[in-house]
Amino acid sequence: MRTAAQGEARSRAIRLWITSGPGLFWIVLFLLIPSAVLLGIGFFSADDYGNPVLPLSTTPFQQVAGYSLLGWDDGNIIIFLRSVQQAGIATVVTALLSYPLVFFIMTRPASVRPLLLLFIILPSWTNQVVRTYAWLELLGPNAPVTWVAHWLGIVPPDLGIAPGSFAVTTGLAYNYLPYMIVPLYASAEKLDWTLVEAGRDLYASGLRLFWHTVFPQTVPGLLSGVIFVAIPAFGDYVVPQLLGGDRALMIGSLIANQFTETPDWPYGAALTIIMLVFTGAGLVAFRVLTRKIGGEGEATI
Amino acid sequence: MSTVVPPRVRGMLAGISWPVYVLLYTPLALVAYYSFAPAPNMAGHSLHAYNVLFHDGVVFVALQRSLILAIGSATVSTALGTLLGYGLCRFRVANARGFMANMPSLIIYTPIIMPSLVFGISELIFFNFVHRTTGMLGAGLGTMVIAHITFQVPYVALTVFARLAGLDPNLFEASYDLYADGIKSFLYLVVPVVQPAIIGGFMLGITLSIDDFTISFFTSGPGSVTLPIYIYSAIARKGISPEINALGTLMITTIVVLAIVHFFITRHRDDASRQEA
Repeated sequence: MRTAAQGEARSRAIRLWITSGPGLFWIVLFLLIPSAVLLGIGFFSADDYGNPVLPLSTTPFQQVAGYSLLGWDDGNIIIFLRSVQQAGIATVVTALLSYPLVFFIMTRPASVRPLLLLFIILPSWTNQVVRTYAWLELLGPNAPVTWVAHWLGIVPPDLGIAPGSFAVTTGLAYNYLPYMIVPLYASAEKLDWTLVEAGRDLYASGLRLFWHTVFPQTVPGLLSGVIFVAIPAFGDYVVPQLLGGDRALMIGSLIANQFTETPDWPYGAALTIIMLVFTGAGLVAFRVLTRKIGGEGEATI
Repeated sequence: MSTVVPPRVRGMLAGISWPVYVLLYTPLALVAYYSFAPAPNMAGHSLHAYNVLFHDGVVFVALQRSLILAIGSATVSTALGTLLGYGLCRFRVANARGFMANMPSLIIYTPIIMPSLVFGISELIFFNFVHRTTGMLGAGLGTMVIAHITFQVPYVALTVFARLAGLDPNLFEASYDLYADGIKSFLYLVVPVVQPAIIGGFMLGITLSIDDFTISFFTSGPGSVTLPIYIYSAIARKGISPEINALGTLMITTIVVLAIVHFFITRHRDDASRQEA
């Protein structure tokens, strides 16, 4: 009896390895090992060509903190804070836009809802570069929107809204809007409308009704959306690169520069480690915070 | 359900939403508009940029590479991902705890949550290192295909897994009772049942491949310029030109048309199957 059960468990394990093994092995070989190598490089010294060499050192992390041969400067800290700010604003903007959009779709006839949702997601299926540079057409130096900005005196003449900070925020919000809409829509679909009716029977209305009956039920979707938008927006590369210019540099471009233009692999790897550490810390802090205020509304990845 | 929402609020929602829809497509429409720029020394709109584009050999080669990359990587990742999703659904011990039991999920979610920049740079370093020590895997279309497979596999696996998880486990018992062995059961029961998920996974793989720029950028070599990389470097070098807009327009149109066709086909199929049931 026992050996038969053991035999079955064993054949099950073998089948698991035959079927799942290749895919898992592929990801381990081509992603987990490479990223471990990348993180390890952060603790090496750099040679004249920026390649990692022994001995192990903490110089890369001192560079991250802003120390160099020329002394300390706040450039990296500013870039870092700017990335947090851009990701934060983009997340808030997508959340504020997503609520009306999601409930607009929900109040339409069931037959057109999938189509309305499709047209929100569709732009995100076009290539990153194409949909991002498209904003240059709208916000660039010769675009009509920029003329209005010139006339209002917001933007100096001869310059466009893009490249610039505002263009980066817009581009990030545009790129990641579907990542907020989809989880929010999923939780709005499961909404228990009888609670809303109950609230109305108790003479609640308007914002109060929304805040006490609808909003709490959408919190799980909102939290997933915040994670799906904030994390990739924080480390985005294409948007700040195309719409940002030098004065709106974000951490993604700073990291990429250490591997392309002016190679310094250990420094770039150290920047990556710090970025991942802060992303992870942000996630943990976010979960603790939401558990405190929301309780049942927990984000699941 | 929606009867609870008063007409005034509905009007407000529509008032906010329709402009957002317009705004979502304005940049894309402008790309198309500027692609019909007048030919040199001429006035009015023209197809000049398209004419230039169609006679540009570099663009044509880049298009070929993009297609090979998308279809090649999606094919391999569909095979790997389907097996992976099937294996995890069927052979993993239910409710197992501990690090080893959760290993597969951890591995599957890594490519999904890892920022694509970190993904791309990790692969850049890895391929570079392997190339320097063994001479294999020099940066090019091959390394790009490998990287694209890596980020597609988890999505295919999750799609297939989701479909299988909704199945009655007794179906597998029934197939064994009818003397099907593991492989037969896989080919004659699993594949037909999850076929929509497999096709969906393949389409998702192609979409992800076409959408990606960052990972492609860091894993490509000098001889493997694909369309997105071509557009990116053209803009970086000399800004936006009508030809780039023409290329962008064609890419946007292709995706929009494919998505809408796919949407109506699958909906039609859903309707048909609902009527049968």
